[in-house]
Amino acid sequence: MIKKVFKIDKMENQSRKRQRIHFAFFLLLFILILSNMTSVTLAAVVNPTSDFYVNDSAGVLTSSTKQYIINTNIELQKKTGAQIVVVTVKSLEGMSIEDYAYQLFNSWGIGDKTKDNGLLLLCSYGDREFRVEVGYGLEGKLPDGKTGRMQDEYIIPYLRNNDFDGGIKNGYSAFLKEVADEYGVTITDSEKAIQKGISNQTYNNIYIVILIIMILSFILRAISRGRGGPFIFFGGGGGFHGGGFSGGGGFHGGGGHSGGGGSLKKFLILKNNLIELNNKNHYYNSK
Amino acid sequence: MKKGLLITLIVIAAVVLIGGITVVSTYNGMLTKSEEVEGKFAGIEEQLQRRADLIPNLVNTVKGYAKQEQDIINSVTEARSKLAGASSIEDKANANTELTNALNRLLVVVENYPDLKSSQNYIQLSDELAGTENRISQARRQYNEAVKEYNLSIRKFPANIIAGMFNFDKKPYFEAEEGSNKVPEVNFD
Repeated sequence: MIKKVFKIDKMENQSRKRQRIHFAFFLLLFILILSNMTSVTLAAVVNPTSDFYVNDSAGVLTSSTKQYIINTNIELQKKTGAQIVVVTVKSLEGMSIEDYAYQLFNSWGIGDKTKDNGLLLLCSYGDREFRVEVGYGLEGKLPDGKTGRMQDEYIIPYLRNNDFDGGIKNGYSAFLKEVADEYGVTITDSEKAIQKGISNQTYNNIYIVILIIMILSFILRAISRGRGGPFIFFGGGGGFHGGGFSGGGGFHGGGGHSGGGGSLKKFLILKNNLIELNNKNHYYNSK
Repeated sequence: MKKGLLITLIVIAAVVLIGGITVVSTYNGMLTKSEEVEGKFAGIEEQLQRRADLIPNLVNTVKGYAKQEQDIINSVTEARSKLAGASSIEDKANANTELTNALNRLLVVVENYPDLKSSQNYIQLSDELAGTENRISQARRQYNEAVKEYNLSIRKFPANIIAGMFNFDKKPYFEAEEGSNKVPEVNFD
């Protein structure tokens, strides 16, 4: 009896020892993995919703506008692979709108992975800034100067009057038309954008010059891609992001990337004027 | 006895094999990272070129409205040619900062010319320039991240020994030196 008990004890001891060795081994492995990890930068940007195409975290859009953005995007993506994502935020969390848009664009993977034909309309309600971020594939159709002018004409005049829903919807329609034109398709339910604000002056040959620059830079990019160049890194990342949230039946990014192209507009003017005006009125009233 | 010898030989062979595999895989890893750095640098150069191409248009537009601002216009043109002539990464980074500052000064001066400021040509060019500057800064960040990863990889043990054997050197970051952000003074008198 005693011998038997002793034997069992011994066995237990051995298995405990083995467990301890296993534990030590895994701990070592874990430490090794940890020490090899380079610092992971956590993106502080908002996450995509299950609708993907629109994330109105500032709560400035009506549900009909959101539905319009989703429906037209579904058709656009089916026909061209392009995606136009609209995001509103209350605050940029201390980031510049350029960095915010860049991070958001590339972590969501907006647009098709190979065509890179994504577009992001980002509005920060608190900072009163708007940015259009353009994927590589649409830079030819939408150079920075043009996106800036389109913002001036279609979006900013509304935003200055605090009509966020109207401005964003109108601007979205304008950009939707540009992207659809690029691929020669029509989107059935798309609405016509209304030009407002700055009168349409003549644009001289500056477009041609910019086009030439664009073409040159595309050639350069092609060369650097051939060299196993700078944009391979993104290719791998994009696909991964897309897969993350495809489960719930929602929409997701195609893995497109942007190199930081686009333009930004501030719409502070009226607000400042208003404050100034209010101060003045107050001053006069108190007098 | 014979068995002992055999075991010793096997152990030596295993050690040599493992050592060899480590050297090869470390070498390949460093080479990949080094290529990545080169690739990212090409990305910066592409955008620097793009900005340099835009500047003559901007200068011509400004000249049309503000001929008397010759000094500032010259400082932009000079900074541009300096960037074109820079060869090392450090020189390029410094020249780039200088150009950025010259352009910023130009943008300040433009505030005095409402006609110029509201001209479509100017608005469009400044949007293009801002976009290109943003592209440069994103490309620069990517480059610096790649450099950081590369530099770290050649300094870790035991990779540092292998890096020493095959002459993998530290690569410089794309950063401006102190003082390069000074633009030649422009006299407004």
